[in-house]
Amino acid sequence: MAPFDLQALIGNSGSYFLYLAIGFGFGFILESSGFGDARRLAAQFYFRELRVIKVMFTAIVVAMTLIFWSTALGLLDYDEIWVNPTYLWPGIVGGLIMGLGFIMGGYCPGTSLVSMVTLKLDGMFFALGMVTGILAFGETVGYFNAFWHSGAMGRFTLPEFLHLETGWVVFLVVCMALVMFVGFEWIRGAIYGKAK
Amino acid sequence: MNGFLDMRVAGALILLLASVALALYGQPSLEQKWAFMAERFGPRLAERQVHIDPGELLALMNDHYIDLLIYDVRAETDWNWFHLVDSERVDLDKLAAQRDRLLALAENAVVVVVSNDEIAATEAWKRIMALAKPNAYILEGGLNHWLNIYGVAGEESGAHGETSLATPDGTLRHPFKLALGERHAAARPDERHAPQRDYTPKVKLLKKIARAGGCG
Repeated sequence: MAPFDLQALIGNSGSYFLYLAIGFGFGFILESSGFGDARRLAAQFYFRELRVIKVMFTAIVVAMTLIFWSTALGLLDYDEIWVNPTYLWPGIVGGLIMGLGFIMGGYCPGTSLVSMVTLKLDGMFFALGMVTGILAFGETVGYFNAFWHSGAMGRFTLPEFLHLETGWVVFLVVCMALVMFVGFEWIRGAIYGKAK
Repeated sequence: MNGFLDMRVAGALILLLASVALALYGQPSLEQKWAFMAERFGPRLAERQVHIDPGELLALMNDHYIDLLIYDVRAETDWNWFHLVDSERVDLDKLAAQRDRLLALAENAVVVVVSNDEIAATEAWKRIMALAKPNAYILEGGLNHWLNIYGVAGEESGAHGETSLATPDGTLRHPFKLALGERHAAARPDERHAPQRDYTPKVKLLKKIARAGGCG
């Protein structure tokens, strides 16, 4: 039953190689999907270009469906998959800061790295700013430690929040994604006319 | 363009159907999860690798380097008659609520499940493993065995004697005079004066503990 202990199965070098291969594949897909272009990424916020939302949400709903089908069939132990613990208030503030950074800079952390390795100057500066921000956070977090740990809710996911069975939550999220795809296309058509 | 559109619609339909089927199929219950895991953990149970001697549990209770969590899964009446110091009573069907706590246990944590014999404790062990796979063990022979060894004659009705551990039926076989819970002497015997036992230690910590000594 997954997740497997990779170190035990294929050793340290084997698992590092696998991480490298997955990272390479992820970066390759991001770049091929056009996620290394800040203009394209930022355009989603104006409903001009919807591929980011479509690719990301398709990946999310497909992965989610596969994870919970695998769990249902006993192929995967979902409890052993790391889920970031929820810290509500810093999560909200962090989300706003990241969203602001995304819309201003045109990148999220992963796409800025994709852009950087394709030698785009804006990607390089964005990644440099991100590293500087990480450094500044690390050096100052002690001053707002209480806030950083506020709203701790542990491993808190949508089924607990909605008090619904996991399968029905998966169904609702898939519906939400599909409605969003259609709805955003409609909004884009209404604002910019039919896509060529 | 039409072909691409058809593919997108087909993909969306497949995803939608898969999610509806998943909602109807449901996620595994603890019993089903254990059935999935039985191949991996079942042999440990069958070979009694997780059944620890009362002497080993007593040593754990006195080891301050270990974060010991004792779950007592008996009925409240039995709990009121007698229970181990620092143990926590949890109903079998409410063990699932312990999931987050079990998942957050430190590497020096040891979970021991106790019941009157091994029947309820074994069921609880399976559920606990299905919940979080902690470093969990079962008290060998249950509290009836524990009281056979560490019980005090004056606390029981009639003379304290060893009760038979054969044909376990889930009941507490030591009749106490008073329901004193953890105020019985046997709830935490003095390790120095308690009967010394030869046993094969079975508890393996997930992480080696650095035991500080002297004035360090």
